[in-house]
Amino acid sequence: MQEVAYQTGTFEDANGPPMRARGLWSDAFRALRRNRMAMLAVVILLLLALLSASTAFTQAIARYSYSDQLYQHVMEGPSWSHFFGTDYLGRDNWSRVLTGVSISLEIGVGAQIIVLAIGVSVGVAAALGGRVGDSALMRLTDVTYAFPDLLFIILLRSVLLGRHMPVLGEPRLQVMLAIALVNWTTIARLVRGQMLSLAEREYVTAARTLGASNWRIVTRHMLPNTLGPVIVAFAFGIPFAIFAEAALGFLGLGVPAPMPSLGSLVTDGYNHMSNVWILVFPAGAIALLMLCFTFLGDGLRDALDPRQR
Amino acid sequence: MRRNISFIFLTALAAFFCLALAACGGSEAKMSQTITVDKAAPADQQVLVAQSSEPEFLDPQLSNFEGDVAIERMLFRGLYELQLDSSNNVVAVPAMAADEPQVNGNVYTITLKDNLEWSDGQPLTAQDFEYSLKRECSPDVAAPYQYLLGAGMLDLVGCDDYFNGQGTADGVGVKALDAKTLQMTLTAPKPTFTTIMSLWPTYPLRKDVIDKYGANWTDPANIVVDGPYTLTEFVAKDHATLAPNPNWALDPKPQLQKVTIKFIDDMEVAFNAFQTGELDMTQVAATDIPTIQNDSTLKSEYLQVGSLRISAVEMQMQNPVLANPNVRLALSRAIDRDALVNVVYNGAYLPATYWLAQGLPGYQGNDAFQSIIGYDPDAAKQALADAGYPNGQGFPKLTLTVADDPVRQAEGQFLQQAWKQVLGIDVDIQAADRATGADLYNSGNFELFQGGWQNDYPDPENSLIGVFNTDGANNQHACNDPDIDAKLAAAGAETDNATRIKDLQEAETLVVTRLCGVAPLWQGAVLYLVNSKVGGVRPNGAIDAAMPGNWCPECWFIKAQ
Amino acid sequence: MAGYIIRRVLQLIPVLWAVATITFLLMHLVPGGPFTQDKALPANIVDALNRRYHLDQPLWKQYLLYLWNLLHLDLGLSFRGDRDVSQLIRDGFFVSAQLGVLAFVVASVVGLALGVLSALNHNRFLDYFGVFFATAGAALPSFVLASFLVVVFGVKLGWFEILGWGGPIQFSHTLDPSAWEWRKLVLPVLALSMLPAAFIARVTRASMLEVLNQDYMRTARAKGLSKLTVVWRHGLKNAMVPVLTVMGPCAAMLVTGSFIIERVFSIPGVGRAFVEAVADRDYAMIMGSTLFYAAVIAVANLIVDVLYAAVDPRIRYR
Repeated sequence: MQEVAYQTGTFEDANGPPMRARGLWSDAFRALRRNRMAMLAVVILLLLALLSASTAFTQAIARYSYSDQLYQHVMEGPSWSHFFGTDYLGRDNWSRVLTGVSISLEIGVGAQIIVLAIGVSVGVAAALGGRVGDSALMRLTDVTYAFPDLLFIILLRSVLLGRHMPVLGEPRLQVMLAIALVNWTTIARLVRGQMLSLAEREYVTAARTLGASNWRIVTRHMLPNTLGPVIVAFAFGIPFAIFAEAALGFLGLGVPAPMPSLGSLVTDGYNHMSNVWILVFPAGAIALLMLCFTFLGDGLRDALDPRQR
Repeated sequence: MRRNISFIFLTALAAFFCLALAACGGSEAKMSQTITVDKAAPADQQVLVAQSSEPEFLDPQLSNFEGDVAIERMLFRGLYELQLDSSNNVVAVPAMAADEPQVNGNVYTITLKDNLEWSDGQPLTAQDFEYSLKRECSPDVAAPYQYLLGAGMLDLVGCDDYFNGQGTADGVGVKALDAKTLQMTLTAPKPTFTTIMSLWPTYPLRKDVIDKYGANWTDPANIVVDGPYTLTEFVAKDHATLAPNPNWALDPKPQLQKVTIKFIDDMEVAFNAFQTGELDMTQVAATDIPTIQNDSTLKSEYLQVGSLRISAVEMQMQNPVLANPNVRLALSRAIDRDALVNVVYNGAYLPATYWLAQGLPGYQGNDAFQSIIGYDPDAAKQALADAGYPNGQGFPKLTLTVADDPVRQAEGQFLQQAWKQVLGIDVDIQAADRATGADLYNSGNFELFQGGWQNDYPDPENSLIGVFNTDGANNQHACNDPDIDAKLAAAGAETDNATRIKDLQEAETLVVTRLCGVAPLWQGAVLYLVNSKVGGVRPNGAIDAAMPGNWCPECWFIKAQ
Repeated sequence: MAGYIIRRVLQLIPVLWAVATITFLLMHLVPGGPFTQDKALPANIVDALNRRYHLDQPLWKQYLLYLWNLLHLDLGLSFRGDRDVSQLIRDGFFVSAQLGVLAFVVASVVGLALGVLSALNHNRFLDYFGVFFATAGAALPSFVLASFLVVVFGVKLGWFEILGWGGPIQFSHTLDPSAWEWRKLVLPVLALSMLPAAFIARVTRASMLEVLNQDYMRTARAKGLSKLTVVWRHGLKNAMVPVLTVMGPCAAMLVTGSFIIERVFSIPGVGRAFVEAVADRDYAMIMGSTLFYAAVIAVANLIVDVLYAAVDPRIRYR
């Protein structure tokens, strides 16, 4: 049985000291606040989220719909009437990038939420499932881990593409699902490792002696203490999800037109190089999102892991 | 680090914009090359061509894709070959045959030219043609284009029976009377005889080579050809190399010493490689036209060749909404084909309301149909109202199935927008990759499909028969019209060419005016870039998209610099 | 340790079997088959083709047939031209491995150097530059970067070539270095190595910083050892542990070939072959490449685990 937990994306091993459920969260939050890069990242992300979400309610900021095609203004560069220029069908780039940011964020965060759900469930089940459960779930994790990521995403997406199904038919959900199904192993291993080590701690033994049920122990004592590294993994996983969506868009397996995700916008730019601005702005948006999530993740890791101070 | 956030961000932004500016800075002026007729020294006679698909097979009778056929055209030559005459019409002229066939009722007799040889020195005989034609009908080979020799097409006696297991090879109506004379028996005389006999399924093959090497007979070490070039190297997924065949019997003899065909499926990659000089000839996408127009060198190297391809919105007639002719009329009249061609395809294609492509005998053009199904927003709205959906109210949401390549998707979005703006209806776009789309199409499982028709050979019967007759093999849009069926049946049985063409024209008129399953959009062209140092590239009509001037690859040469 | 390695290799077998089964199922769920054409092939021809490739058998039979062949290490024939799948994968891997190894070397050298330099010059200019590179390098998807490189350095400036692979494409070409074109090597390797380089730089820097702050480092300096000895012998070795965890998956990813880079530069590697196989519904090729990838990733992980234990004496495998 492997003793080492895989931590791609995070650098501490799983056997850190436990954190007390209260008091340490406010400490962590204060530490995060002091990290100016992380705070800047949060501010930018909130700003982006607000700006892009605004397109759902009002056109004041976007100024154009992302799908309106103005044939008199095809392939223009940036100007006052079109901040980011127009694309090959005369659509306003600024509005498309804003919408793209919101869709990419939606997919990135959505995929990670599914990852969280699957990863935590599998991790907890593995840790508490005894030798058999643990073994079986760890084999499942191995198989998923062995599967080359993008290959699996492509296959899964090809299977679901073009089929009319009630819930799963929504393309954004399909993309989120495809990305999440390859990405949950990190969190599962993390949670399992943490839970296994925490199970040996005195306070758990104490709680059990006092008659607390397994469920209560897990939810009240153990899970909160695993949350630190899990939150960090969650934050670092969002950039991966956004990248994966961009790659899918490049291969033609992303969200369908005219919905602009940053991935499909970048692909459009690649295919219409005569107007570089179609490529530059979405690429810039991806880079900005990545930078922000990276700094945020760093900040969270610094704040939540006292050893790093 | 914490003190210099702004520094980092500003540097990042600066780097970004530097890259962007560099990328959109003007291209470097290349020295324009003087065009002479002199040919370069043999050592320089090498050409690098891009082809978007890797060939599956180099056996002409197993081939299903343009990528295969394009290379086979350079390796083999049949009894006849296709050329463009002075008025740019496609004609079949004798290649290995000495002359037009002698027709005696249903019996066609062809005499071969003298002194024809294979690349290994063996004489090319009529027996080679007999073997090859029988093989094309063989059930063991399962040739995808066997139907070209069968009923309704060439109508070679016994071919379908043999293929379906109800006959033998001896029952097939082709016989070599002697080494230079081939006799073929059809069920009825066919005006399209020489055209079909120039196509790849009829290329001669060497029985002894195929028997000896089996499936590996097309390996460079084993292959024996009768065409202008022979295969010297084949690296899977990368490239194929050809060299001149010293025993090539016809004229002109190839000037090129080496042709390298690289398999590149992404057109942007090929376009970039052309600009760096790593490719001499390639196809380009319509989206690159603005870049090409803005560069004087590229502009002079750009070649646009009309193709026998009509793109259309296919409408599933079995769908109750689309079965209503007014609905189909509304959909067709809401599309501004001129704008579509200009915006999405940068003017490279021809707006079309017709079905028989320009270049085909019987072409009628837009004049006949523009006023009936062409762009007219008011008429479109009226038609929709007549159908029972004034202003689009109550109209169900339809789905348009679109290919996943970027230009086709742009067109899909254009159509979606047009229908929304003119008719007020919502149409969903469903992107499908090639195999999924083909699957949906072939099972008729679509409502609106971004399809059309590409001719297999340059005759109007290929555009209509099988495509619009009830139970036609390619009638996935379920056109079911007794008048059309009658016209197509008449045309298929007609032996007088002029009458036959007229019948087909009338069938076209019925199909288009009744929008029986299709609303034509544009006639395509194939776009190429040919480096100015390459000469002898004769644009050929139509069917061949992979390489420019593919009907006469022996005509290519490198000009002296 | 030997027992551990053997156990891990044996564990590979059920994992690969599971991968094969899942791929088989998914593959047959993808709509369209290998013989679906834009114009429908006549039914009798489709039947003949299906019969030739055993596609007319019920699915469970096809599955068992495949597993049986797999046990004989026979990966089957590709639908495109009846070519041997193992041959195709071998040829493709030959190219992808070159690309991956070169990118790995570049990424490691650049990443390690930058990481160490950053850590040693903490909070000074070199550090800022290192952090900037590390975050910016990881901020762009590889194909965006590749597109920029192609357009700027290939098309506009003409410094490098962008079509194909500059090294030997087939094994038989290896012994003829004069045929290699180094100008084609630069851009794809650069595009592929940027992200792992940035990643490795980040991890190295963080790890080195942590190690540099340790008491034993100060003790060693106080004892009079030169800075170079301290950094090299005491610092780097201890800092390598977390770096190795990152390098392992990086190596696997690089060696199996980034198919986006392979597509943008038209390099005939395994990654591009896989994407084309999915588009073509080339079942044998899809299965073969997926299994191949899984095996490579598993082996790479095993190597990393072993190295991990070798470098960090605290880790022992039961």
